Amino acid sequence: MIELITTAESVDQAKLLVSAGVDTLYIGEEQFGLRLPIAFSQDELQEITAFAHAHQKRVCVAVNALMHNDMIEKVVPYLAFLQTVGVDSITVGDPGVIHLMKKHDITIPYVYDAQTLVTSARQVNFWAKRGAVGAVLAREIPFEELKAIGSQVTVPVEVLVYGATCIHHSKRPLLENYFNFTKETVPSEDLYISEPKKPDTHYSIFEDSHGTHVFATNDLNLLPHLASLVEAGITQWKLDGIFTRGNNFVEIVRLFIEAKRALAGDGWTTALQESLNERVIALHPKERTLDTGFFLKDPNNVK
Amino acid sequence: MRKITQKPEVLAPAGTLEKLKTAIIYGADAVFIGGNQYGLRSRAGNFTYDEMREGVEFAKKYNAKVYVAANMVTHEGDTEGAGEFFQTLRDIGISAVIVSDPALIEICATEAPGLPIHLSTQASATNYETLNFWHTEGLERVVLAREVSMEEIKEIRQKTDVEIEAFIHGAMCISYSGRCTLSNHMADRDANRGGCSQSCRWKYGLFEMPFPDERNSVLGGDPEEDFSMSAVDMSMIRHIPDLVENGIDSLKIEGRMKSIHYVSTVSNVYRQAIDAYCNDPDNYEFKQEWEDELWKVAQRELSVGFYYGTPTEDEQLFGKRRKIPAYAFIGQVLAYDEETGIATIQQRNLFSIGDEIEFYGPGFTHLHQTVEALWDEDGNPIDRAPNAMMTVKMKVDAPVKPFDMMRKRK
Ligand code: SF4
Repeated sequence: MIELITTAESVDQAKLLVSAGVDTLYIGEEQFGLRLPIAFSQDELQEITAFAHAHQKRVCVAVNALMHNDMIEKVVPYLAFLQTVGVDSITVGDPGVIHLMKKHDITIPYVYDAQTLVTSARQVNFWAKRGAVGAVLAREIPFEELKAIGSQVTVPVEVLVYGATCIHHSKRPLLENYFNFTKETVPSEDLYISEPKKPDTHYSIFEDSHGTHVFATNDLNLLPHLASLVEAGITQWKLDGIFTRGNNFVEIVRLFIEAKRALAGDGWTTALQESLNERVIALHPKERTLDTGFFLKDPNNVK
Repeated sequence: MRKITQKPEVLAPAGTLEKLKTAIIYGADAVFIGGNQYGLRSRAGNFTYDEMREGVEFAKKYNAKVYVAANMVTHEGDTEGAGEFFQTLRDIGISAVIVSDPALIEICATEAPGLPIHLSTQASATNYETLNFWHTEGLERVVLAREVSMEEIKEIRQKTDVEIEAFIHGAMCISYSGRCTLSNHMADRDANRGGCSQSCRWKYGLFEMPFPDERNSVLGGDPEEDFSMSAVDMSMIRHIPDLVENGIDSLKIEGRMKSIHYVSTVSNVYRQAIDAYCNDPDNYEFKQEWEDELWKVAQRELSVGFYYGTPTEDEQLFGKRRKIPAYAFIGQVLAYDEETGIATIQQRNLFSIGDEIEFYGPGFTHLHQTVEALWDEDGNPIDRAPNAMMTVKMKVDAPVKPFDMMRKRK
């Protein structure tokens, strides 16, 4: 019953991931989905969905953007398209979309995903009563709270187990504004910001049509804690490859698939966990660092 | 002559009971305050139930409303007691609560029926269908996200019946509200539970490589100018006609942590401008003195946020700043004796004989004068008023009234 959900950066990678044993692909296009490794065309979405279905796997499409008036109009035909393609679910973070789906009788199951705003079981259940089939939890929830959430929710909740954590979304083009001020063009490289007096920190920052996004200085890796998640009843696990490209991402996903299989049977041992974890660390991009995010934090220390 | 009778509400922040009274006397139709729990300003300016009662009673006399912000994004355990909290607010006579968390919305709606709910800007409502969603849920009003433009508001107004509230003045959070946890990650303080450490205003290094030993700074040519996300503040004083004509129900001034000087000045200015427009929209003229007045309490430069386009580098706090005239709030008038022309004043900051000062009061009255004669409470002549909250008497050239304020240029 563990479900592994992963992003994909190309049609080929999507197929590889499905063949490797991923349960659900999390993909989308630029306008309606937030912070995806790549924007797929509608044809590609169709192709990937057909491939996944042929292998009894699922596709979840990101429709989790914050929509302004112009987008809320355009989202209806897009949802209709997704319904025709037969995607298995979508993520939604704007209640306007929920309102519209009801109005237009669009019945694609939706997972509520408002990023930082989903922090308790009662919130999840609120959206469940309004039709959500699940919810994506915020990244800032310590394990103690995850346990409490897991025991009270009426629909499954998803957590990130591997990948980058977005910690700031502004509609302002903050990089462009800065470089306009200094009269230079925005560099084309990946960019990082470091905190004042903490030169070791390296928060990824980029701009797209949704604005500016900043990511945590460390990516998340919960491989050593998967058994705890199972125990807490939280078994929808996302792996996000936005900054882990190519084959390394596929290999990391394979390690989590192996973990999943071991956890589902009785093969989960400390030795296996340690070996898988070492391999995740080895495959993780050298220019990025890993930690366990808020998982091990004492809830009383973040107020 | 055309006249607008459906005036939008001027909604002012009130961090304390004193500020609540001041805001209302200076023209606010409503104020928003914080309770001791569930709000986003955990570190200052919250009201006890008794203070709320007194505030509501005071507001009633002026036909004004009191809203309570309970806009925290709750974690497990945080909602304990919320039902009772909302019931108490309702029974006290609070006009609405400002909430963003659906758990709190549900608790309020089911356990304290009859208490109107306003969706906080923390929920980032950016389109009319979102407003329609919340209207269907029974909410009375939605505070729009700061990213919504004037054009969009116009369309939202046409396509929804729920009340609309929009920010018109004050400091701005530059994220889609609620979608920022910089503070959680950088300072172990939850931005959505009142702990925001304003990390967006910090100075950052900007690099093309992650680790110190291999990276080069890509900060622009000027090494003095670090990367920052910090924004200037907002003022919509030049756009009152748009705000009124597009049917915004409530015009919100930010700043529950701000001083009495700020609250009185800003409420006063917007009251003037909105009344001026609504009384005779076709002959309305913007008055420079309104903006000049707002500058006296400004902390940063002023801009119009997203109302007329995406903010550019000019709306970020880079480079040399325009010099803001700094004024100190020095006292408040407690009484005035018409026969002697002597005002009784509560001191709020040092002032002395010879100082050029300015009185201002509700209704946008102003009086400039030089301090000529001062006495302490017992009638002894003094040449300066050094002690906080001391009562002094002072000769004034023209009548002043209780609640008039005194400021002087620093
Ligand atoms: S750090 Fe800045 S952008 Fe983030 S919540 Fe605080 S004020 Fe808003």
